[in-house]
Amino acid sequence: MTSPHPASTASPATRVLGVVCLAGMAVLVFLAFVASPKDAVQGDLVRLLYIHPALAWTAYLACFVAFGASIQHLRRRTQGSDVLAHAAVEVGTVLTALTLATGSIWGRPTWGVYWVWDARLTSTAMLFLLLLGYLAIQRIDAPPQVRSRRAAIVGVLLVPNVILVHQSVEWWRTLHQDATLARRDFDFATSDLFMFTLVFSVVVMTLVFVWLLMHRFRVGWLELQADEVWLDEAIDARRAEGAVT
Amino acid sequence: MSGDMTYILAGWGITLVALAGYTTILVLRGRRLSRQVPPERRRWTS
Repeated sequence: MTSPHPASTASPATRVLGVVCLAGMAVLVFLAFVASPKDAVQGDLVRLLYIHPALAWTAYLACFVAFGASIQHLRRRTQGSDVLAHAAVEVGTVLTALTLATGSIWGRPTWGVYWVWDARLTSTAMLFLLLLGYLAIQRIDAPPQVRSRRAAIVGVLLVPNVILVHQSVEWWRTLHQDATLARRDFDFATSDLFMFTLVFSVVVMTLVFVWLLMHRFRVGWLELQADEVWLDEAIDARRAEGAVT
Repeated sequence: MSGDMTYILAGWGITLVALAGYTTILVLRGRRLSRQVPPERRRWTS
């Protein structure tokens, strides 16, 4: 039987979600490496596209969550909104780093280079730096309220940067292809398994993101509680000292 | 193994290892902090 107060960040809901995520990842690996055939143009390299766009999507999602929580924090100054924004940014940093890594790995055999200062790649690198900047601000030596407010201002800048990343292929001439799936001439009918695997990867990665965000939020919440427990104990010790003298 | 498969396995490998590593770090951080906080302050409602 599960303890009502587990000594971890897990809960019955996150345990179920975790099992679903693991099963989903296993099915995704099967679809990507076994079930899905080679692409007529890209050959086996299409298998990298079953993970790269899904990572990019969840990185965007993390930025949207951090953006909303940052606005909420600037308006209401609640601790929960700061913890949520911080959690979303940390998870988003991992996902953006993986988006850049898988994109570079796909770019080497496709374009002949790991990196080029193309609008899409450069704006994604800027987004990564912005996320790192947020995390750096949360670690500066300043009162928690000041630190959170400054970080929230950076958090508000995330969504404009995401829009820049997304639209970069439309606004500038880039080596990165444009939004393939949104193109009107994209033939969905002859790409059933490709489309299914691609959509499935987005769904699985979204669930993984939700699981990571819930656990990271609880870690942040526990950090706050641990600080308060430490403060309460220090005050009690001081009072006890006063009572003795 | 074709040259392309090296890139494919590298991309997937980095992703899966990084996600597994980050998950492990999160779970361990959660367990360590949970031991410092009394049960009434870590009652997860979901």
